[in-house]
Amino acid sequence: MINFKQVSCRLGDQKFSFNLQLPLGQVVAIMGASGSGKSTLLNLLAGFIQPQTDAGQILLDGQRVDHLEPSQRPVTSLFQDHNLFAHMSVFNNLALGIRASLKLTANEKAQVEAALDQVGLKGLGSRLPKQLSGGQRQRVALGRALVRRKPLLLLDEPFSALDPALRQEMAVLVKSLSQQHQLTVLLVTHEPKDVLLLAETVVFIADGGVHWQGHSKDFLQQKDPYIQAYLGQNC
Amino acid sequence: MSKLFLSRHWFWFSGISFGLVLLPLLLAMGAFWSYLGEAQWLTYVQDTYIWRVVWFSWWQASLSTVISVSAAVLVARALARRQSFVGRWLLLRCFSVALVVPSIIAVFGIILLHGKYGYVNQLWRWLGGEPQSYVYGLTGILLAHVFFNLPLSSRILLQRLDAISSETWRLSSQLGMTSTDLWRHIEWPYIKGVLPQLSALVFALCFTSFAIVMTLGGGPKATTIEVAIFQAIRFDFDIAKAVYLSLLQMFFCGFILWAGLRLGKPIEIFVSLETTAKNMRPDLRPIVGIVSDTVVLLLATLLVLLPLLAVVIAGINSAWAEVLLDLRLWSAFSNSLWVALSSALLSLLMAAGLLLAQRHWRERYAAASLAVEWMGSVILVVPPLVLATGLFIGLSPHVNVFAINLYIVVLVNALMGLPYMLRVLSVAYLKIARDYDRLSSSLGIQGWHRLRYVEWPILRKPIGLALALVAAMSAGDLGVVALFGSPDIQTLPLLMYQRLGSYQSEAAGVTAVVLLALCLGIFVVLERLLGGSGD
Repeated sequence: MINFKQVSCRLGDQKFSFNLQLPLGQVVAIMGASGSGKSTLLNLLAGFIQPQTDAGQILLDGQRVDHLEPSQRPVTSLFQDHNLFAHMSVFNNLALGIRASLKLTANEKAQVEAALDQVGLKGLGSRLPKQLSGGQRQRVALGRALVRRKPLLLLDEPFSALDPALRQEMAVLVKSLSQQHQLTVLLVTHEPKDVLLLAETVVFIADGGVHWQGHSKDFLQQKDPYIQAYLGQNC
Repeated sequence: MSKLFLSRHWFWFSGISFGLVLLPLLLAMGAFWSYLGEAQWLTYVQDTYIWRVVWFSWWQASLSTVISVSAAVLVARALARRQSFVGRWLLLRCFSVALVVPSIIAVFGIILLHGKYGYVNQLWRWLGGEPQSYVYGLTGILLAHVFFNLPLSSRILLQRLDAISSETWRLSSQLGMTSTDLWRHIEWPYIKGVLPQLSALVFALCFTSFAIVMTLGGGPKATTIEVAIFQAIRFDFDIAKAVYLSLLQMFFCGFILWAGLRLGKPIEIFVSLETTAKNMRPDLRPIVGIVSDTVVLLLATLLVLLPLLAVVIAGINSAWAEVLLDLRLWSAFSNSLWVALSSALLSLLMAAGLLLAQRHWRERYAAASLAVEWMGSVILVVPPLVLATGLFIGLSPHVNVFAINLYIVVLVNALMGLPYMLRVLSVAYLKIARDYDRLSSSLGIQGWHRLRYVEWPILRKPIGLALALVAAMSAGDLGVVALFGSPDIQTLPLLMYQRLGSYQSEAAGVTAVVLLALCLGIFVVLERLLGGSGD
């Protein structure tokens, strides 16, 4: 269970406050208008932003994680862009997920190769990121998520720069990887298609807090004015 | 019809700019050429003094570069890490000021600190030591070169480090990287690319530095080629030797420029130095890092701040009324102001003409457009004193060069400012051409309207910065002006140099403060006035 208890923070003029409970082992879509706080939610979970007061708690399986350093939290983040170190080979980009010193044992090197295979990039380990397509770069980042073996995967609009066919391909890949490795995936997206394809649960964020939470099938049928406005259905 | 009209105008304008840039260069080269027959090559090649000068030029420039750049790496890293460091604002301000402080002022400050009766020796004596004389010679030259080049290098490196995206920092903190990992995997790869070019730039600046070496060195043990040229003309009246040394200097400068271009990417020039990105780095907590960063930043602040403070303190003395009421000071002041503004404006006109031509030629003649870029670089091969020497030799049979000295000073300073002008302006200017040429022509925005609504709003910031830089540098120039200096026509740096040389330390102090105020004033006023506040 992921549990946000009264977690609040402030960015510039905007205030955020989250109360949220999510089961593990699912793909959860986080939706909401731009600036509503979707990324902030993920950043709080990953530890890139600290909660404002000590009153708020973030718990994973009953354990508090909000005092941990980002690297000690059981999460891997994937951003829209800049997920790779541009001057490093694909292999090293993955190897960083195991050890920051890049000194790997033979066994660990095999793990990296296996991960490359799983994301469909076998044999491309020596390439530089700029020699790959946008979709391939995101696959490298997914591969790194696999070698890190963290139970939570946070995806912040990771496919929005890709064309529709690639988006779908990546969505299928994320789905199958998450089932294979029993990952919990939090996916920030604007795309209703992603929701239908991937997510079991939808969390809708508005005004800096959780506005609605429920099954993904129900989400698109909601009569809630906020959600209808967001989906563009109130004509 | 109107298009034709305009294009005829730009043609003339660009033609005049090309002429203003090329004619002085050709005149100087022609003058050198005419002396080639007279030079006693063998004597010069066998002259051990010249070889000692050459060796010292390379040696001091190498040491200055290694010290400045490696210290700058530490400073830039510390600055990038400590974004909420208390003295950050002060340090960055000091670094900006160091860009426009005239060399004679820095030299004065360094003498006040490190001279035989300076603060350092006073402290040393108080501790029981014998006063040491170390400021004249290599040590003093290095101190002055680091004073100027550490801030410059730190800013360029800091800019590189600030270009690292916030996602990269988040990723690295998630991956649990230590300070060493960050350095190896992120920071070093980022700054490695600019180091060769940066080193070449610093090396070239130190190699051709004149005022610093003339005031702090100058003896047989500590003379550079640049100073030797000056001595050959002013003291030995040996023009053939000056020509030989100038050719040697141009050869070396060409080599340095070539090496820098071969080794790496050109450095982007900075427009602003304030960083807004608050990056989240994983290595901010360890106490060792906090202590070492604080020490590095504190030392860097002291390095720049102490000489400037010493100058200001030296300016507060009982001689102020006498100096300020002296008409010579104000005539020198107005000459310097005039030189500064004219040089900057002339430099801007040259750059504008060249860029205009480049824009028109960009699509049709790639070679011509490349030629424009080359003209900016050619100037770098001809250091100010070499160009001035060429003009001196070329013009003196025809006119009294001492009577028109300030015009020559303006011309040479404008040419020296041209590479900066072109660098600062060309990026913005070509971006306008790329992004807005089609839009403007589809909307029919041309000529004056284009200048008013498209170009000026985008260019005013870089123009303000470039004008301010060139004006401040020209106001503090002591090189060209020394070569053509006459007792009748003074500038502030020249007056300052004479007072320093004749041990009128109180008068020198007041003059220094006036000169410093002039340079900083010109810089701030031009940058703010033209650049506007905010975006």
